Amino acid sequence: VETSTGSGAASWRRDAVRILVLGVAYASTAVVSLQLALVERNVTPLWPPTGIAVVAFLAWGSRIWPGVAVAAFFVNLPISTSPLAAAATAAGNTVAPLVAAAILRRVSFRMEIDRLRDAIAIVFAALASTLLSASIGAGTLVFSGAVPESGFPEAWAVWWTGDAMGVLVVTPFLLSLRTMRNVWPLPWSRRLEAVALFVILAVASVAVFRTALPIAFVVLPLVGWAAWRFQLIGAGPAGLVVVGIAVWSATVGLPAFREASLPQTMLTLQAFNATVAFTCLFLAALVAERVRAREALERAAGRLEEQVRERTMELSTANRELTREIADRKEAVEKLRQRERQLAEAQQMARLGSWEWVLPEDKVTWSDEMYLIHGYRPQEFPMTFDRAVGQVVKEDVPRIRANIETARGRGEAHNLPDIEYRITRTDGEERVLLGRARLELSENGEPIRMVGTVQDVTEGKQAEREHRIAETLQRSLLLKDLPDIPGVSLAARYVPATSDVEVGGDWYDVLELPGGQIAFAVGDVAGHGLQAASTMGQLRMAVRSYALEDPSPSAVLERLDRLMFRLGLSEMATVVFVVLDQASGTVRLANAGHPPPLLLQENGEVSFVEGSLAPPVGVSRIGDRVAETERALDVGATLLLFTDGLVERRDASLQDRLMLLKEEAATAGPEPEALCDHLLRSLVGDGADDDVALLALRRLSLADRPLDLRIPAEPQALAPVRRTMRRWLEGAGATTEEANDVLLAVGEACANVVQHAYGLRAGRLELRLAVSDGEVEVTVRDTGSWRSASETGGGRGMEIMRGLMDSVEMDNDSEGTVVRMRRRLGDGQPG
Amino acid sequence: MTELAHLEVEFRGGVPVVRIHGEVDISNAEAIASEIEAAVPNSSPGVVIDLTPTTYLDSSGVNLLFRLAERSQVRGQRLRLIVPADAVLRRVLEITGIQDVLTMETHLDEPLGDEEAVPAPGDS
Repeated sequence: VETSTGSGAASWRRDAVRILVLGVAYASTAVVSLQLALVERNVTPLWPPTGIAVVAFLAWGSRIWPGVAVAAFFVNLPISTSPLAAAATAAGNTVAPLVAAAILRRVSFRMEIDRLRDAIAIVFAALASTLLSASIGAGTLVFSGAVPESGFPEAWAVWWTGDAMGVLVVTPFLLSLRTMRNVWPLPWSRRLEAVALFVILAVASVAVFRTALPIAFVVLPLVGWAAWRFQLIGAGPAGLVVVGIAVWSATVGLPAFREASLPQTMLTLQAFNATVAFTCLFLAALVAERVRAREALERAAGRLEEQVRERTMELSTANRELTREIADRKEAVEKLRQRERQLAEAQQMARLGSWEWVLPEDKVTWSDEMYLIHGYRPQEFPMTFDRAVGQVVKEDVPRIRANIETARGRGEAHNLPDIEYRITRTDGEERVLLGRARLELSENGEPIRMVGTVQDVTEGKQAEREHRIAETLQRSLLLKDLPDIPGVSLAARYVPATSDVEVGGDWYDVLELPGGQIAFAVGDVAGHGLQAASTMGQLRMAVRSYALEDPSPSAVLERLDRLMFRLGLSEMATVVFVVLDQASGTVRLANAGHPPPLLLQENGEVSFVEGSLAPPVGVSRIGDRVAETERALDVGATLLLFTDGLVERRDASLQDRLMLLKEEAATAGPEPEALCDHLLRSLVGDGADDDVALLALRRLSLADRPLDLRIPAEPQALAPVRRTMRRWLEGAGATTEEANDVLLAVGEACANVVQHAYGLRAGRLELRLAVSDGEVEVTVRDTGSWRSASETGGGRGMEIMRGLMDSVEMDNDSEGTVVRMRRRLGDGQPG
Repeated sequence: MTELAHLEVEFRGGVPVVRIHGEVDISNAEAIASEIEAAVPNSSPGVVIDLTPTTYLDSSGVNLLFRLAERSQVRGQRLRLIVPADAVLRRVLEITGIQDVLTMETHLDEPLGDEEAVPAPGDS
């Protein structure tokens, strides 16, 4: 139902136009209809204006009733007896469509008439509302005298059926035009069908009324065709065409109506018209309803199908996602398992367990390795804090508890200090564990969780202890300071193996022999650790003793071999023993299974001293079969003795490493300290697989530098000093006699210091011999008390000194006493 | 006996001949003096100190000889000192004037008695 929504002038103008259009339409159709009047001039079997008015009121609103009223008044005025009668009739004509429209609006009439209830509603509205117009109109005719009182029922019936037909036929037709707008354009096949239908319908309608036989009903199937095939847009026009033709036939008196009286004609005509109208309306509405229902069903089915398709797609997507998710989860689970396995393996290898302690619930979780460390099967039983502490050795428990209390009291997340403690395992064994832990707090600062690791460090502690002892022993057994030997520059290194178990067994040694020779030894006891270190100590001392008795290198090694068997030492050892004779400038050496010494000439030549090689000592009773090798050791040349740790590497052949040693030695040159440093840096690097011992000795030209000695002021210290001085003096070019003289004079000066300078206190003396311009200059210095020359050896000491030296001076200062003596060389007797 | 020196004593015709091998310095002079004293009986008519195998002798050794010479004179024993002509010790002894108190000979040529030489007790 359309209502005016306009306002003001625009709304008024529109309403005025509509009133005018309605009035013109009403008046014009009324004039045409009156040509079909059956009674007088104003009662027609079909009154279309009422149908037009109903449609106008439905479409445009009841406000435009004045158009109907005015038009009806002017239409009726000429055919009425008086203006009053015309006005009355017009009022009736206006009220009827207003009531019809009101009824239809009331029942929510749809102008598409596509429901059965709409068809019923329009039929009811048409029949009911036109009762009014018929009564008013027929009454007016009687009152105005146009019809006699007896003619009222007939006039009323014609009026009513005419008005009612006007609504039943015209209203659906007009509404069908309106609906047509919505479905236009029709397909060509449908238009062709429509044209054929209407041609047949019109021809049939005319045909049935042109015969006197009562066969008008045969048009009904055609009407049904229209209604069924086209619903309202077919039924509306079809009804109008058939009813129009019937009314026209009755009016012009075609054969079907020719023999009948007026009432018979009216009855037949209106019965036929009503049948057609009802058939049109009901059939069209029913079919429309069915079609709509089917369409709705189809739409619903379509929607359903669409929904099913969408849902299926969603489902399949969901399914794919689910499958992937399941696969992902499976992979994640697998990864997690793998990681757990790796963690467990890592923990096992590191002997490292991990734990978590949720404080509020006192819930402790242990990793498998934790259980194993404590002597249980993995996850053998649920763990609690008290149970865990139960295994800790009693003395260590308070420390652990205090540690935890301190941590909980600190009020912040932090790592606890590491703690080492002992536990007693279920099998009774005591183990040393290293614990690390971290405390975590909840959001409000409460201690909530501790996590940590525990490592079994028992073996590590033992190995560490043994390594330390072995290294300490090793170092204590080695020479602390190399002796200061004139004519020889020495350097030695001992590098313990970095690995815990490899330390021990290597040694080097330097020993001055009574005859003025110097012995050097480097050896390596097979095996490692404490045992090897202690055996090394014994062998080293044995070599010293044998060397002092008989410095022949072969004899020393032979005796060492015999000793090892005699003592039942199960180890074997490799040794190289060297004796340097400075007077002849030669080295003699014997080698029992040891890497060959390296000889570096001052000119850069490098070679291994590879004489005959005896088996290692302690293996096969080498007897007296050890051979000796002799080589010249020129002034400036260096002999390097080393143990196999310097050259043996797991990842390289010994031959290659020996070549590398030669090259690096050549690069470093013969200076002993620099040589040792360079070789350790280039061949050993940061970590030694095995112990490394190095001893480098270089023969120096004695005269090249002064002889400086610092010795304790003790009687026993003087004899070695005399040997040293003799070598130095001979190296400096003194004759044996000159050397003897200087030795004796210096001996007297030193003896004086020993006897008188320090009394009972221990003290030292410094001795310096230098040669310049063919003259030996000797300085003997002490920090003891002053004494006069006459005290010295009852005067004989000073006498000897003066007698043997060219000059003797004795000075005292705040630091002590200095004796300076000079002696010219090459003159024979002193002056 | 010390590492530096050791004594060899033989009797020739009832006269002890003491040979000092090695070096004599302040570390062993006292010990050598005691040993010589022990090796020389009071009844002996003389004593011979042979410095042929001695390689070093400092003022403490010289003092030892002076004391020995003093004692011999008191006992009426004749002290003879054997020092080879080319010995390195000779100069020391000359410087200190030992020849003023005892006889210095280059070698033991004169027979001293008819007993056979025997090692002194306690010597090695």
